[in-house]
Amino acid sequence: MFTTGAVASLAGTVAYGVLAEGTMGTIGLVSATVALATLAGIVIFTRDANVFADEPDTFDGAAANAARPGASMWPFALGLAVTTMTLGLVTYPAIFILGAILFVAGIAEWILQAWSERASADASHNAEVRSRLAYTAEMPVAAAIGLGIVIYSFSRVMLGVPSKTSTIVAFSIVATIVLILGAIVGAKRSITAPKITALFAVSGVVLIGGGAVSGLNGERHIHEHETTAYIAAKDECGAEKTYADKHASQTVAGKAGNAEVRLTAAGTLVHRKPGDETDRSSALQLPRSNANNLLFRNDSDEERRLVIDLAPDYEGSPPRICTTLVDPGGVQLITVNFAVPSFAPEITDIGGYRFYVPGVSSAELEVVVP
Amino acid sequence: MSSRTNHDRTISDGSHDAHTLDRVSAVNPRRRRRIPGIAAAIGAAIALSACATDAPQDTWQPVGENAQKIHDLQWPVFLTAGIVGVLVFGLLAVTVLRFRDKGQAMPEQTHGKPVIEYLFIAIPAVILAAIAIPTVGVVMALADTDDTECVINVTGQQWWWEYDYEVEDDGTICGFAPTAAEAAPIVTSGQLVIPADTKVLLRGTSRDVIHSYWIPRLNGKRDMVPGRVHYLRLSSETPGIYAGQCTEFCGLSHANMRMETIVLEPDHFQQWLDNELEPYTSPEEGTLAAAGEATFITQCSRCHQVNGLVDDRGTDDPDDDTLVVSYPDQFVYSGAAPNLTNLMGRNTFAGATFDLLTDECRADVWEADPEVFGERYLAGVTEDCLNEIELREWLRNSPAKKPMYADAEMLTETDGKTRGMPYLALSEDQIDELIAYLLERK
Repeated sequence: MFTTGAVASLAGTVAYGVLAEGTMGTIGLVSATVALATLAGIVIFTRDANVFADEPDTFDGAAANAARPGASMWPFALGLAVTTMTLGLVTYPAIFILGAILFVAGIAEWILQAWSERASADASHNAEVRSRLAYTAEMPVAAAIGLGIVIYSFSRVMLGVPSKTSTIVAFSIVATIVLILGAIVGAKRSITAPKITALFAVSGVVLIGGGAVSGLNGERHIHEHETTAYIAAKDECGAEKTYADKHASQTVAGKAGNAEVRLTAAGTLVHRKPGDETDRSSALQLPRSNANNLLFRNDSDEERRLVIDLAPDYEGSPPRICTTLVDPGGVQLITVNFAVPSFAPEITDIGGYRFYVPGVSSAELEVVVP
Repeated sequence: MSSRTNHDRTISDGSHDAHTLDRVSAVNPRRRRRIPGIAAAIGAAIALSACATDAPQDTWQPVGENAQKIHDLQWPVFLTAGIVGVLVFGLLAVTVLRFRDKGQAMPEQTHGKPVIEYLFIAIPAVILAAIAIPTVGVVMALADTDDTECVINVTGQQWWWEYDYEVEDDGTICGFAPTAAEAAPIVTSGQLVIPADTKVLLRGTSRDVIHSYWIPRLNGKRDMVPGRVHYLRLSSETPGIYAGQCTEFCGLSHANMRMETIVLEPDHFQQWLDNELEPYTSPEEGTLAAAGEATFITQCSRCHQVNGLVDDRGTDDPDDDTLVVSYPDQFVYSGAAPNLTNLMGRNTFAGATFDLLTDECRADVWEADPEVFGERYLAGVTEDCLNEIELREWLRNSPAKKPMYADAEMLTETDGKTRGMPYLALSEDQIDELIAYLLERK
């Protein structure tokens, strides 16, 4: 009842174990013997032994005589899915989720294929039955994946080109090529499917290849735009221009802000509050522990910024904040949250709260936080 | 199975319905006679509720100038809407009753009556235009703030209102110069005090969520939105207390977020102002109140500010006092807690939710004639009038007294900060001391 391979393997294992005395080798050969013996057992169990030619019913009903299932990629996909899920367990959850999705999809596809193969004796009809059901899900998913690959590859290419200007050039070239090819295809009276397929295939390979190369090379350096909080943290609230000042908005709308602080042409700071159209140079009273949105309007002839010193070393509060440089006639927003009142020792020690404008010594405005 | 059989039987022979109808019709005549009486009683109760005298938040009793403008607009609008409503529903009822199916022949069907169609368009258009024109005028008038005489900042937070009075350029507050002390911003809560016959501009915002400020007898409502400042005009010629209520749902204790506006005659407002600006006075040494001051510093001052309070413990030098400054932003989600400098100068506490006065003393103030109202209000909370039960319960366990999101196990989303006052586990002795101390804060 043993196959030749299993017997030979057993004999070889015994001989190796006696003569060579190699433990690992013996274990390996024993394992191979067990595997071959198992395979032999399966074959014997399923091969319908001792069927006589004059027993047609037995012959027809034998498992070996059943219709052979078609070739399927789904067992392979399931194996891949299990491997991916296992890998995900020890690496990243996202990989496990990907494996799980592949597993569910593989199971569904395999079940569908097995079901469709039993629909009739006609293989082409079975394939059509399968397609009719499977395409409703496969086509949108395939389109989404394909589109995603194209978009991702294209974005890698765009982010990989050396400068922002280059992206415009590259995009223009690609768009032009697509337009020209589209025009050529449209102008031809007849074009064969293989040619169209080849065109798309080449375009796809070029795009994906370009994306892969760009992705491996990494993105170009993109300068992060600093916020006013950043320049305050870097203590760059002086009269000098910083990078953050280069493209700062000069037209901020804040009609319901707490107050507007204005640098006059005479170099003084005045304030105006909602519901009161009068410019005041007296102390500006603002509530504590609240986001006070204030507008800074620069009516002077030079670029200026508004600065205020807050409680030094107070947790959760920067020691100083400021606007970006504001063009003459421009407006910028500054949000100030006073964590401690004006009468607190840490504030009286710095001379109280006050707005000031670097470079304009006369521009000061007292702020009272009750 | 059996239930379906029974059900089918009931439907098929109608015995159940017939039986029920017989039973109802046997009882109905007596009950039917009662229905109009019951309906009339309910209607009368609803109608008579409009005559309630103890209705402090009644928009139909305007006192302020802007409230009067709203009132002058709303009564003709309501009248018009009422007439239209009665006409429409009356005609509907007549049509339903008179022309209901009684087996008569189908009446003649007509369409295309231009006169009727034009009338049905023109009449609503005229009514809407008649309402829209004065409405727009009133909206514009309510937004007018050019003649403001007093500016007060209002800040809402869960679940109380803070008021701070600005010092004007000329050193006055609301046009009143302090008699003795130097003018300084006044911060108070719960009760807004304004001078009579003065056009007050409230500049409102919020520290946490959207609230809405509404004193119905003085003006309409205005939303208070974080990061924005909205303004609202209040004024009244008549001294008194005018109650209000937050009208934008703002969390667990929204219903307990109340406010009261106190209108005082000018001389009484001057007294109130001077009192608010008086320097802090420590309790007499050795008294229960003095012990309460120490307890306040250790238990309450992290969040509650009492202006001028100093801590001289741990030093023998009487001049080496440390000003006690509260840092509520570190403990409370909104970043603020009521300033308690002159707590007993107010009638209420905990966001005007509870009275500091006993019922009798409260009625004495609330029901006072305008001529004597100021004197009674300025008397503040005396030892005899203190509503000690409510205050004691509050100090004992404030979240149990007023629903607040202060459970220590539910503070992860607020970064460990409470909404409202937390449970402080004060001993009864500490509560006695605090009450004695707070009673002197006026």
